[in-house]
Amino acid sequence: MTFSERMLKIDRRVIFLVIGLCTLLPLLYPVGLPIRISSEVRGVYDHIESMPERSVFFLSLDFDPASKPELHPQAIALLRHAFRKNLRVVAMTLWVSGTGLADQIMTQVAKETGKENGKDYVFLGWSPGSTAVIINLGQNLYNTFPSDYGGKPTKGLPVLDGVQSLRDINYMVSLGAGNPGVEAWYVFGKDKYKFELGGGCTGVMAPGLYPLLRSGQINGLIGGLRGAAEYESLIGQKGKAVAGMDAQSATHVAIIVLVMMCNMFYFSLRQQKRLG
Amino acid sequence: MPFESIFGAWVATGLTLFIFSFLYRDNPLFKLAEHLYVGVSVGYTIVKAYDTVIVHLIVKPIFEQGEFALLIPVAIGLLMLTRYMPRAAWMSRYAFAFIVGVGSGLAIPRTISSFILKQIEDTVRPVLSVAGGDGVTFTMNLLNPASNLNAVIILIGVSSVLFYFFFSIEHSGPGKVVARTGVIFLMIAFGAAFGYTVMARMSLLIGRLTDLMEFSDASYGRPTLWLLILTIAALVVISRQSSGSRPKEE
Repeated sequence: MTFSERMLKIDRRVIFLVIGLCTLLPLLYPVGLPIRISSEVRGVYDHIESMPERSVFFLSLDFDPASKPELHPQAIALLRHAFRKNLRVVAMTLWVSGTGLADQIMTQVAKETGKENGKDYVFLGWSPGSTAVIINLGQNLYNTFPSDYGGKPTKGLPVLDGVQSLRDINYMVSLGAGNPGVEAWYVFGKDKYKFELGGGCTGVMAPGLYPLLRSGQINGLIGGLRGAAEYESLIGQKGKAVAGMDAQSATHVAIIVLVMMCNMFYFSLRQQKRLG
Repeated sequence: MPFESIFGAWVATGLTLFIFSFLYRDNPLFKLAEHLYVGVSVGYTIVKAYDTVIVHLIVKPIFEQGEFALLIPVAIGLLMLTRYMPRAAWMSRYAFAFIVGVGSGLAIPRTISSFILKQIEDTVRPVLSVAGGDGVTFTMNLLNPASNLNAVIILIGVSSVLFYFFFSIEHSGPGKVVARTGVIFLMIAFGAAFGYTVMARMSLLIGRLTDLMEFSDASYGRPTLWLLILTIAALVVISRQSSGSRPKEE
């Protein structure tokens, strides 16, 4: 068996080990590679930055723990930014399996920034109906969510002062890991009730959302862990996403090298067979 | 540190390592973690749905606030359950008809407006721009999505990909060139999607490893270290047992 043949039949567990080490070592010994801010992430940041104090920022945390590594840092960074700008935050989720996680994120960041439940923010929880919930919210928020996640009646909450429906919010961001997510909020929300919409998503979904970005259907997009790292850099509070960027780069380099080596061995083997 | 945080760290670490053990080979530890994941997520969803829908949106409004109009959607919903009774199963068709009708009515116009008309509008952009009313310009900036060069690339890409999927004409001669161009555009799109998928999967790995590193701290009782030793030991035992029980070749 030639060297090329042996390399092409290498035990897959060796590749797992290489990828594992390429991820683990930069996490243990970070080098702090520079992070370039993309225009799509800046779109979301700039819009929140331009909002006056006490404007209504609506955040839909449409993901569950399976997408936590990518969307949790995005949610934390967005909430830190919104609370720092003293915006009123109204949050909810369209994913029943993400309710507990969304509540934990809201409580954590609110506690960290000293914000008060009901006055500065409210977590509405989950309501059944998927996309129909968005349409209902566009008609009447209080009928869709008569009480918040903690069971407190939503009518009369200072944070919802002057807010009757989606038409009264100033900016909305959906952090989506699938359907319903960013697309649903555009189709059933923004397109019908005319509010400004930004998006955050997992890396897998990002290529599918770029057409919405280019056509102006969403004004910004935070894509995957990389997008979260860019947002953390923009707000100047580096967290888990920035910490993971070295590992991300190292694994990408490892994968590129593996693909190149695999092709090299494949063509070398083919050449050897042709020559006899 | 509160007990629930320490307990949660041990459970999370153990389940992560059990799932990762599949990278070595399929084993009972992986199966345990997999079944737990399915069971817990289904159980969580059922409890949340029961509490939100049955308790807060049906029982409380009807019995405490007297909103009897809610009995209509409840009745439609209950019709679905007739699927389990063969003699009354036909009644569930009314509920399904209602859901399909309302769902289609809501989704079709909105989807056509959002994804087809808006995207066509964005695709059909002028190839040349009028600058200041006295001349035409052609912007070459590849990094600017609104540049004329990108409009031309999109025009070529959309036309050639659509032609590739047009099977009524044989793809030969000039048609073959157009179809081949379509394939190149498709390959670039697939490559970009795959690249993002790799990035997403690596992010998940980074997330788990970050947690494992955090839980290796003494304040949690070093669950990463102890459970890693335990998992490796269990894998060795399972591996030996399975090789011992394999029938010897004559």
